[in-house]
Amino acid sequence: MIELLGCRKTYPGQAGRPPTLALDSVDLTIRASEFVCVLGPSGCGKTTLLKIVAGLLPVDQGEVRIDGRLVTGTGPDRAFVFQNFALLPWADVVTNIAFGLELRGTAKSEREQRAHALIEAVGLEGFERHYPRQLSGGMQQRVGLARALAVDPQILLMDEPFGSVDAQTRRLLQTDLLALLDRSPKTVLFVTHSVAEAVRLSDRVVLMTPRPGRVHAIVEVGLPRPRPDNLDHFPRYSELKEYLWQQLRDMQQ
Amino acid sequence: MSANHTRVESTTSLTGPQGALAPQTSLDAQSELLSIGEARQWLLSLLLGGAIWELAGRALRFSFLPPISSVLIAAADLIASGQIAGHLLASLGSLAIGYGLAVVGGLTLGLLVGRYRWAEVALAPYINALLSTPKLVLVPILYSLLGLGRGVQVAVIFLNAFFIITVNTAAGIRSVEASYIEMARVFGAGEGQLFRKVLLPGALPLTMAGLRLGIGSAVKGMITGEMLVTVSGLGALLRKYGSRFDSAQLFAVLLVVVGVALLCTLFVQAIERRVTAWSEFGS
Repeated sequence: MIELLGCRKTYPGQAGRPPTLALDSVDLTIRASEFVCVLGPSGCGKTTLLKIVAGLLPVDQGEVRIDGRLVTGTGPDRAFVFQNFALLPWADVVTNIAFGLELRGTAKSEREQRAHALIEAVGLEGFERHYPRQLSGGMQQRVGLARALAVDPQILLMDEPFGSVDAQTRRLLQTDLLALLDRSPKTVLFVTHSVAEAVRLSDRVVLMTPRPGRVHAIVEVGLPRPRPDNLDHFPRYSELKEYLWQQLRDMQQ
Repeated sequence: MSANHTRVESTTSLTGPQGALAPQTSLDAQSELLSIGEARQWLLSLLLGGAIWELAGRALRFSFLPPISSVLIAAADLIASGQIAGHLLASLGSLAIGYGLAVVGGLTLGLLVGRYRWAEVALAPYINALLSTPKLVLVPILYSLLGLGRGVQVAVIFLNAFFIITVNTAAGIRSVEASYIEMARVFGAGEGQLFRKVLLPGALPLTMAGLRLGIGSAVKGMITGEMLVTVSGLGALLRKYGSRFDSAQLFAVLLVVVGVALLCTLFVQAIERRVTAWSEFGS
């Protein structure tokens, strides 16, 4: 369970500019194994929120607790998937996937074993010794996802992970992500710009206001799990998308 | 630090402008081996140059431009008589020590300055100033510090390479994408792990470029230093033949010097190529 209580974050001004209030008192609770999407206009602090939960950034005010424990830094219970993949270009796929384990001091044979298992899980068989530059965007993100899953985290933090790939690949990755989570449930905090993606993937959608970011509304998605192939035909799917779009439009006025 | 950093800083100063091109030393495709066709062209160009030199030397009869045939004969003589061997060894000895120290020192300081802003700010004025200063200007100071002898020679070589290596290593560290560092952090990397597993490998392309530029500069320092300072070494030979207007011998030694410079650079380049194959700056 992730709890954010009164979280406030200001970025100091650079080169004489005034400081920026990125997050203004965010309160949020995320239940275990829940998939929560954070949706909002650009600059609303979505990524800041994610990094705070990851322990990469400290809060100025308020606190973040995971299962009751205060978050003071990064930890093995959380893994991160980056929008621009952040794969090490000098390492091959197996090494990249095993990177988190390597940092923990896991033995090489065990690392490789785990990496190979995940390569299968994300559908990258045959590409073990390839380098990131030899892979398409979608494949690179599969590596990113595998790397995050390799450390067996309780919480998956995803920062617009499918934002850098084309629409078709995006759809495939979404389906694969849901399938992976079905097999091995995790708490997921997923930042996105895409209304459709938010509704497709999550249990709840958190709408954030433009900067300074606050929680504007939280919407229960309530669509069946596992997601059916004909999700697009569900009336509720379209209704939710319409509602969220409306909210976003209203906020930007 | 920009996360969109696809080009690297120039090597003209410690905090060069963002977005300048990767450091260059030569005209040809230094990152690619020549194809068979290109190798033939290269050879042809050399032969043609040699032919022009021979004809010009014979036809013009300038005392300072001996035909290449005389030069090659003089070179053969020098090598056969063993004269050049002693000087060559002396030169290479100083080069090895001077460059070796510059590599150790330059890498260390470069890592420090690249990683820690306080170090960069504190040391930038000195590094930039000394980088652009002709090192021979410092010879009198070196003499008073080190006395007469080989030390001054080694110091000149060291200084020539040290600052270039520092600046490029620092640039290399800074060129590592912020997202890699963040990624390593989030997966639990400590500072030491960050250095070993992210910063050092990431810095390798520019660092290797610095080592390659450094060896070129070191060889130049070796020759110019020897011409002024020492009694043994290739530079000293150049001075001797130059003062006697022994142009064939002079050119012969010059060819050896060029040969040494080329071999050293090619050696470093080969390592560079191997080690940076993964990056867009390597081959």
